[in-house]
Amino acid sequence: MWRRSASFILERQTSNSPPMADTTTRAPFQNPDSISAYYQTRAAHHGVITSDWLAQAQAAVGGVSGEDENPNSSVSDIEKEKSFNVIEEFNGWRKQPDLAEAVAAIRALAAVIRASEASTMMELEIELKKASDTLKSWDKTSISLTAGCDLFIRYVTRTSALEYEDFNSAKSRLLERAEKFGEISCKARKIIAMLSQDFIFDGCTILVHGLSRVVLEILKTAAQNNKLFRVLCTEGRPDGTGVLLSNELSKLDIPVKLLLDSAVAYSMDEVDMVFVGADGVVESGGIINMMGTYQIALVAHSMNKPVYVAAESYKFARLYPLDQKDMAPALRPIEFGVKIPEKVEVERSARDYTPPQYLTLLFTDLGVLSPSVVSDELIQLYL
Amino acid sequence: MPDVQSMVLEFVNKLRKRKIEGSQATARCTVELLKSVVSHHRLPRANQASALIDAVRGVGAQLVAANPVELAVGNVVRRVLHIIREEDLSLATAAVSELDFNGEGMSAAVVAAAARSTLRPPSLQTLLEGTTESATVPYTFSSGVDSESKTADKSSITQKLKDDVRGGIDQLIKDITDCHEQIAEQAIEHIHQNEVILTLGNSRTVLEFLCAAKEKKRSFRVFVAEGAPRYQGHVLAKELVARGLQTTVITDSAVFAMISRVNMVIIGAHAVMANGGVIGPVGVNMAALAAKKHAVPFVVLAGSHKLCPLYPHNPEVLLNELRSPCELLDFGEFSDCLDSGSPLVQVVNPTFDYVPPSLVSLVITDTGGHNPSYMYRLIADYYSADDLVM
Repeated sequence: MWRRSASFILERQTSNSPPMADTTTRAPFQNPDSISAYYQTRAAHHGVITSDWLAQAQAAVGGVSGEDENPNSSVSDIEKEKSFNVIEEFNGWRKQPDLAEAVAAIRALAAVIRASEASTMMELEIELKKASDTLKSWDKTSISLTAGCDLFIRYVTRTSALEYEDFNSAKSRLLERAEKFGEISCKARKIIAMLSQDFIFDGCTILVHGLSRVVLEILKTAAQNNKLFRVLCTEGRPDGTGVLLSNELSKLDIPVKLLLDSAVAYSMDEVDMVFVGADGVVESGGIINMMGTYQIALVAHSMNKPVYVAAESYKFARLYPLDQKDMAPALRPIEFGVKIPEKVEVERSARDYTPPQYLTLLFTDLGVLSPSVVSDELIQLYL
Repeated sequence: MPDVQSMVLEFVNKLRKRKIEGSQATARCTVELLKSVVSHHRLPRANQASALIDAVRGVGAQLVAANPVELAVGNVVRRVLHIIREEDLSLATAAVSELDFNGEGMSAAVVAAAARSTLRPPSLQTLLEGTTESATVPYTFSSGVDSESKTADKSSITQKLKDDVRGGIDQLIKDITDCHEQIAEQAIEHIHQNEVILTLGNSRTVLEFLCAAKEKKRSFRVFVAEGAPRYQGHVLAKELVARGLQTTVITDSAVFAMISRVNMVIIGAHAVMANGGVIGPVGVNMAALAAKKHAVPFVVLAGSHKLCPLYPHNPEVLLNELRSPCELLDFGEFSDCLDSGSPLVQVVNPTFDYVPPSLVSLVITDTGGHNPSYMYRLIADYYSADDLVM
């Protein structure tokens, strides 16, 4: 009842005053303007040019301060070299379009191990923990990053519990495992593609939302197995994922139809199943994914269409959002092509949360899971 | 060995010709067959468990191919494989603790941890550990033990694995045979005084369940939907009356009309899938939809041999069996329509129905009553992840 009141007026007044005072007292590794670095990187992968990006590019050429990288470089001489290296390293890995976020995180932590001068396991663990905390605080919105860091730290802690007499052999083992994780991630996609093949039958129509590399792998494998199906892609504003996906799929000779995001309910009766990826899988078994996934899941559920999620297991996170606003805000710039009056607000969140009751099955490299199994897996890992 | 081979072929024939009816009978025959396979298989010196697993899996693949719709066969084969793996692991940990006492080089903790990880399904914990190291460790168990002990001990270890596996299989046979009593014990918690129960078709589990409640002096009424075209509901109704229960026989089409008068729907399942979906006799999906509409609890009774670790992707077609249309029509009734080259009349007689998990309130197994979304837990207890594909 409180939310229905005119509290939005009060909210607007309070939100206007604090940001002015905050800019000077910000912690050195905070992202300015709370624009999600994760979604910016995704946009960069997709090659979406926004006016924001252009401004950044111009500023980078001109050397004017106020963008993402520069606050870090301005404080580099103040902070220790190592923590600066972690974020740089991570950003370097993250820019590669085919690399999963968690793999980039683990590679960055591997670089920390390589550069570390610790002589005992305990010391190494403490360094890793600090590096991982730095990474996590730098981009609070990326769930794979958090989950990947947690997974690696957990693995390090447990491995050191086993008896390794030689510290150097333990260290080289950790490095080798971290390097192997990239392969695990690729293998994970192949396993997921194999598991989901049975669910795609000849003559089916698949609705896809967002550009998930795992879902693309699934569709590629199905095409290679000579299955006959067609794909409906949503446009995916503002990332333009629909056009990109249709490019990829037409290379594989899969019939594709583009839909406006608002045309999903209109086309839902000719759809047999919905496939989405996930930015993160939360403890309840729900998923956090690109904005629009919740909407599509609701429509699919009301029309009795199954919603399948393809996600690698390292995306499982210890979050439990109770509603849409219960997550760290991940904002991203949205272009409308025309000038918007200043007083008009824009909903800039890049992601939404889909509760588990709208999902049918999750395909992960741990096997086919129903949403209730996710919390079991997380309990096994963390408790 | 040739004796076992002929037994296998005979059983495969029986399955293919659908001579064995009912999942309990099929499960019991399958277990007996696998027990003789295990007893007669000559084990090599090293890697005994893997040899046994390969033998059982080979036979199992033949059985499943003979009747893919009878899921109990696959379930039981996977249970036996899981038993073999478990017994091997417990023997190995016992051997390792002996080795440790003798002062062997390899760290006991590392070895035991690796062995444990081979039995567990892939999980987040083992994600980073990789599979190469865990795969090599089991091979060193048998060889390590062999190099230590003398020949007399070697054969005794072979015998030990077989004995343990046979013991496990006997326990499985007992579980399959006793499932009715175990489930019936829980009847008193679910059926209350002056209730009206609806059931469909004929299931022995349901019969025992209702009679157990009757024994405990609960008075209730039963509506039995006749379950066309085989009319098994008539058989059930006669049995219930023989045991002194007030019974009403209704047609399948009357289920929706009667559902508002019913307190609970209880049916016996043919199989319960990993997502909680239920395969039952044709007509149960209709009863489930009716129950959902009127908020009536839909209870499914299933013994543990009916619990299948697979996820259904097209169960109405792939897990269904079309029987002879002579059950619907008498011979000669439609002969003028059916005689022409391409008849316009087709008769479809499916055996099973798939009920999605959202319509099921409770699944009662011999271990207790569970939510359909809890099935994955029971599956993790009874089956190993490596055995899903045969």
